[in-house]
Amino acid sequence: MNAPVLRTEGLSKSFAGIRVLDDVSIEVRAREVVGLIGENGAGKSTLLKVLAGLCRPDCGRIVLRGTTISLRCVSEAAAAGIGMVCQEQSLLSNLSVAENVLLGHEDAALRLGVFYNWGALHALAKAQLDKLGSSIMPSAQTDTLSFGERQMVELAKVMAIENRTPHEPVILLDEVTSMLDTEQTETVLTQIECLRNRASVVFVSHRLDEVLRVCDRVYVMNNGRCVAQRNRGCYKIADLQQLMLGRNLSVEYRNDAPQVLITGSTVRLSVRALSRANSYQAVSFELRAGEVLGIAGVSRSGRESLCRTLFGAEEPDSGEIVLDGKSVSFAEPADAVRLGIGYVPVERLVEGVVAGLSVRENMTLAHLDGLCRGPLIDRGRERELVMRWVERLRIKLRAPETPAYQLSGGNQQKLVLAKWLIARKPKILILDHPLLGLDVCTRMEITLLIRDLARSGISILLIADTLNELIALSDSIIVMKDGAVSGCFPASTERPSEREILERMV
Amino acid sequence: MTFKDDRSQPRRKPYTLVRPYVPLAVLLALLSSVGAIQHTFVSPYNLSVLADESSVILLLATAQTVVILLGGIDLSMAALTALASVLIALTLPSMKVGSVISVLALTTLLGAFQGYIHARAQLPSVVVTLAGLGIWSSLALTIAHTTIPVSAGFSAIGWLKGSSFGVPHSFAFAAAALAVLAGSLRWLPLGRYVYAIGLNPRAALLSGIRVGRVKTLAFALTGLFSGLAGMAMVARTGSGNPTIADSLLLPSIAAVLIGGTKMSGGVGGLGCTVIGALSITILRVGIAATGLDPAYEPIAYGVLIVTAALATDRSWDPLQK
Repeated sequence: MNAPVLRTEGLSKSFAGIRVLDDVSIEVRAREVVGLIGENGAGKSTLLKVLAGLCRPDCGRIVLRGTTISLRCVSEAAAAGIGMVCQEQSLLSNLSVAENVLLGHEDAALRLGVFYNWGALHALAKAQLDKLGSSIMPSAQTDTLSFGERQMVELAKVMAIENRTPHEPVILLDEVTSMLDTEQTETVLTQIECLRNRASVVFVSHRLDEVLRVCDRVYVMNNGRCVAQRNRGCYKIADLQQLMLGRNLSVEYRNDAPQVLITGSTVRLSVRALSRANSYQAVSFELRAGEVLGIAGVSRSGRESLCRTLFGAEEPDSGEIVLDGKSVSFAEPADAVRLGIGYVPVERLVEGVVAGLSVRENMTLAHLDGLCRGPLIDRGRERELVMRWVERLRIKLRAPETPAYQLSGGNQQKLVLAKWLIARKPKILILDHPLLGLDVCTRMEITLLIRDLARSGISILLIADTLNELIALSDSIIVMKDGAVSGCFPASTERPSEREILERMV
Repeated sequence: MTFKDDRSQPRRKPYTLVRPYVPLAVLLALLSSVGAIQHTFVSPYNLSVLADESSVILLLATAQTVVILLGGIDLSMAALTALASVLIALTLPSMKVGSVISVLALTTLLGAFQGYIHARAQLPSVVVTLAGLGIWSSLALTIAHTTIPVSAGFSAIGWLKGSSFGVPHSFAFAAAALAVLAGSLRWLPLGRYVYAIGLNPRAALLSGIRVGRVKTLAFALTGLFSGLAGMAMVARTGSGNPTIADSLLLPSIAAVLIGGTKMSGGVGGLGCTVIGALSITILRVGIAATGLDPAYEPIAYGVLIVTAALATDRSWDPLQK
């Protein structure tokens, strides 16, 4: 009988009113590899962060080897024997490998409790690296290592936790293979299989084939809830995909009006072989007037970077952007704005809205020069326009002078949209997760707004949270995987299925 | 039209209502305490002298406010003032009005250059202007090893000396310059951009604001005002002084902060700076008038700056740690 080493009971966590974890109860047994899968935003990373001591749950318990524990920080988790490897590496590149491996718990390698005992430090690090079968020298400088080698050091670092507790550690791996090539991934997966002999592992990956290969059991998360558990041999990829996507909100997003075929309208934007190192390569597509183009892909697929490039916030290395037949290049977002492009960023409070300014000032920020009489701002006209758009978009607020930070998330999102619509109709709108973190009502409103805007001739590039939304909102869809366009579903009356898109994403 | 508050306001504690008025209260407290000790202080004549004294600091603090609102700082202003005063003193006799115009053009250009480097190379303004402080100071010292009296052509700037209707010309000039800038901040799009960049540079950039251009312009402004301050100094003392930088730097920055403009940017403005500049001047003149040890001056600056900083409220800011 394999008693659970780590168990969670009813873990819940909300960020700014959004439920990220909802009553999650999972268990991890000794010497097993548990997989955790789900769509973007399903809560996988948050769950791992709670287990690793990076954030505290609002309610629920974590039970480690029969005792309830409360983790206040990462070092407490490490002392308890729980360690995590993040997708973004946590190594300090200016230190040596040995220093990184034992970072935070060098006590065993100190003389007089203060000075480094380099010999002992290197020996301890070497022991960990040897167990992983790695030939990396503990004295090597971390910034000279390749990405794959650094991933090895990360694994050694997290395994060094076993020195701190008499028990076997619990290792949490958050998307550790998503940035590796096939060969490196192979190495890491082999390591994970070996880890099973001396630790319990929770493995998160969006690549289902990897999960199926190494995991004994799999938990499926959807919208913050743990919806299913499957044992090895009892699942198929198709089944898991179905569980990941869920059924909850698909009813709302069914497109009432048939998608108008837009083959007749002019090509507004043409992207040719656009490339940017470490983000995306050779991306080409066309966007027509009034078309909504959805971009599907997991978090590192390059789609966010592509959108920022098209807005002038990032510079491409090569390729061409053709807007209305003319080749353009943007030195800064202001250039894109002048040409009629608008951008609604995913982090609205950090990048979309200037929290300290009023709603009125925020709404007119992008097109202030259009509201001037001579060199001076025409305040009367400004006020009038702001009122009109507040009413049109039904932004609930006490007065236009309300500071923007007092608005709810949904109203802030409407404010950001209004910013691009006021004074002058944009040619292209780039929406990065426009429905993220909004309540059901606001989601509907903004969905209808997006459709209206498209119908009025504005071209829209869309990154949506879930495939449901993407399919319902978009006319055509392109799928990105690891920086390249892996699939393309042009506008037609036959909508692609979620499974077809997911296959190309992962 | 529905105006409904969709998020209940957290109940405000009483002192948050008082917060914006703290700098003004400090100013009045300073004035009354100095007046209490030295009764002759609050006479019209004394106030007139006070106003005249504050004009140079006011000019510097005015332009510094814009840069601090942007989230930066300009440490080189006083050094540019020294350079300007030296150059004006040297060239007034030969070029007369042309001297003032060309020196002002030079300081504006130097300021713009600093701003351009700051924006383009993404160097923090404190670094660029610190370098500027060193360079322009030593440039001033190289040109004039000691104070240079103005031998001729003083009439070009002589109008700054003296007063009409009890108001010193220098103060009126500084106040007018401040008023023009204040109006610009309020009514030009540029003003809105300055506040936006100071509060959230990322969102400002992604809203299509040309952040680099605004920054360069702000530093060009500090260059211009440094030149104006240099001109005012020559008018007051009749000579150019390469070392005045030392005594002007701290008070001019303190004037902005004591007035209530937040160091991190986006909060405050020129109204605050007037209060701050007057407070600083009262402090300086008051310490001398009441016979206190002038060594207490920097201590007083420190206390006032921290008081003002604590009084400005930015707890709502998600970017604030």
